[in-house]
Amino acid sequence: MFAKNILLFGYGNHGKFIAQGLAKDGFSVKVVESNQEYYRQAQEDGFQDAVHMDVTKDDALKALNPQDYVKLVCVMDDEHLNVFLTLSLHSLFNESYILSISDSMHTTKKLKMAGATKVIDLYEVSANRIHNILKRPVATKLLEGFVLERDGIGFKEMIITEDSFLVGMTTDEIDFSPYGVLLVGMIDEELGHAFVFITAGINHNLDCDDTIVCIGPRDKLEAFSEEIKKRERSI
Amino acid sequence: MNQLLLSLALYLRTSKRYKKSKNFVSDLLNNSSNPYKKYVDITIIFLIVTSVFILIYEVKHPVPEWVDNYDIYFVSFVFSIEYILRLWVYNDLSEFVTEEYHESQFLQRKFEPWSVLKIGLVEKLKYMVTPAAIIDLLAIFPAYRPLRVLRIFVLFRVLKLLRYTKSINQFVEVISNKRFELLTLLFLLFFIVMTAGIAIYVLEERLNPNIEDLFDAVYWALITISTVGYGDISPVTPEGRTISMLIIVSGIAMISFSTSVIVSAFSERLIELKENRIVEQVNKSRSFLIVCGYGQMTKMFFRQKKDALHNYIILDKSLERVETARKDGYDAIHEDASRFETLNKFNVEHAKITILCLTASDVENIYITLNAKSISRKIKVIARVNDISIISKFEYAGADHLLMPNRVVNTMVHTAITQPTMYKAVHAILTGKSLAHIDEVHIHEFHSLVGKSIKEIDFKGSKLLFIGIQREGKFMFNPSTSEHIKSYDILLVMGRHISVNYFNTLYAGDI
Repeated sequence: MFAKNILLFGYGNHGKFIAQGLAKDGFSVKVVESNQEYYRQAQEDGFQDAVHMDVTKDDALKALNPQDYVKLVCVMDDEHLNVFLTLSLHSLFNESYILSISDSMHTTKKLKMAGATKVIDLYEVSANRIHNILKRPVATKLLEGFVLERDGIGFKEMIITEDSFLVGMTTDEIDFSPYGVLLVGMIDEELGHAFVFITAGINHNLDCDDTIVCIGPRDKLEAFSEEIKKRERSI
Repeated sequence: MNQLLLSLALYLRTSKRYKKSKNFVSDLLNNSSNPYKKYVDITIIFLIVTSVFILIYEVKHPVPEWVDNYDIYFVSFVFSIEYILRLWVYNDLSEFVTEEYHESQFLQRKFEPWSVLKIGLVEKLKYMVTPAAIIDLLAIFPAYRPLRVLRIFVLFRVLKLLRYTKSINQFVEVISNKRFELLTLLFLLFFIVMTAGIAIYVLEERLNPNIEDLFDAVYWALITISTVGYGDISPVTPEGRTISMLIIVSGIAMISFSTSVIVSAFSERLIELKENRIVEQVNKSRSFLIVCGYGQMTKMFFRQKKDALHNYIILDKSLERVETARKDGYDAIHEDASRFETLNKFNVEHAKITILCLTASDVENIYITLNAKSISRKIKVIARVNDISIISKFEYAGADHLLMPNRVVNTMVHTAITQPTMYKAVHAILTGKSLAHIDEVHIHEFHSLVGKSIKEIDFKGSKLLFIGIQREGKFMFNPSTSEHIKSYDILLVMGRHISVNYFNTLYAGDI
């Protein structure tokens, strides 16, 4: 599994919510902020080890030891600073996984050029949603609930362990319905590291270390993820 | 007599059928967003065109009697009906009478309907002397056979076309805005023509064989000042020639002046005319989008649309952003969507309107939402919310869908860190870019799936993953296979677009 430590740059509009969400999920988050007010806010919200520093200084960045963190997340409110920071981090620690957010088309391009591993574009996702709402309003509303709500129905990814009864079976063979969940797609390590939707129509062989993504009520998903670790299926 | 008038007026005031039919006729004749108006317009235009064609044709050819009858009786009959209807819906006489009755009851004075009736009739008369009404009336005249000269009144039918062609209406409107300048010019023209005409008459009446009376002289002056110069009458004395030179020079000045007045009138109103045209164009479609604000998100929205969007209009308060939108090739107008008049311009009654509030300000978006909902609950509003803490305000305002870019992005970042595989799936589904996305199948009343149980439906065969049913606002995730489909259910399925289409063609349709 992942080492659960994250270095989060920025505790503004986005950083605040992301930090709190991650902390809730058991991640250890270290907040770095250049804005005095946001920094104080972070400390008040319980991120005691938050650092207040000038993120444009390479020495200060090196002192943070970013290579010890599994992911570096750049969500500074100032988009120029965010691009600069991404560039600095990439040039200093080019092995690191850098996740940045962008709030304009132009910034997305710049962030990618600056070396961000993944860029999440605020407007791209939203603009797509408008098209979806216009075309299929009900599905979009439901889907949004699946993704955003913490309870009710949601998605979950699970890694197939060596001992799982799923190893060696094909996706068509397995009947997921008794568990109350549906298989949405998987990452087949045999076919390269690409995500395949189950509806693509190819019958996949499940192997150890493949990742499957299921949809269902949260409690059933939890139960199912425990279930697939077993050698024998109980239902 | 008064009593009879009163009871008639009261009857008309209270009759729902009368009111309904009057409103219907008024809407049909005057409201350009009424979907049936175009049929009325086309009929009238057809009658006019045929009538003029017959007029021209019969100059050299004999026409069959039925054509003559059609032209004289039928066309005139339709036009007189139209004239009477327009006069009828112009105002409501019964309203005058009943109001006078209520007032007299209240003040306990004698009920005198005739004076108010006179006011109402004068109003109708005022309508009758408007240019449009006069043309309408003259267009009926050719029906009167004994006076052959009335045939030329058919040409007034051509003028009737003015009412039905928007561009000429706009031309007249623009010109009438410059009434003062043009009237001054006309007066000046009249003055010069008369002076020059009298002068040439006095100077040359005896010497010039072509000038016999004052009419000839004035005719010559007008032909000369307009720079047309037929040459049938020309001055023969040096004095006469001097006058010609003077009026030619003043004629050139006047023509250039009047041209510049008209041109400037148009350039002043050009943007407004263009914007009105865009609004009219979009109002013609049965369903359209009003996009408020041309910012990042709007740009992205239009960029992502693969096939060109036709029925839309962009509104923005900032002229600069409107210019950018136009440069990018989109139909945009410079209007404030939070104003009642702005949204009321659109065909709220007859079209399905969806408003996208995409401005960067939450206050603005809420205001537009409220404005739209106050005009009609039927307008669908999709609003952008920047500050997550005020979602409830948007819900109170009545927004149908909310876009929360900040919240979505926060979730995406969170998912990308905690569950990287799922991130790909969610991102693919949310952006709709990948091969698989979630789609909905609407079950109408006569759908072939109504009454069938889920196990009878072959989702797998169409390569679809059945996720659940949305029924009466509630979502049933993965219901048991014995569950039966009901009318108005919405099935949520996941799969490629072609699979969903295939499924729809396989099962949709009547039982």
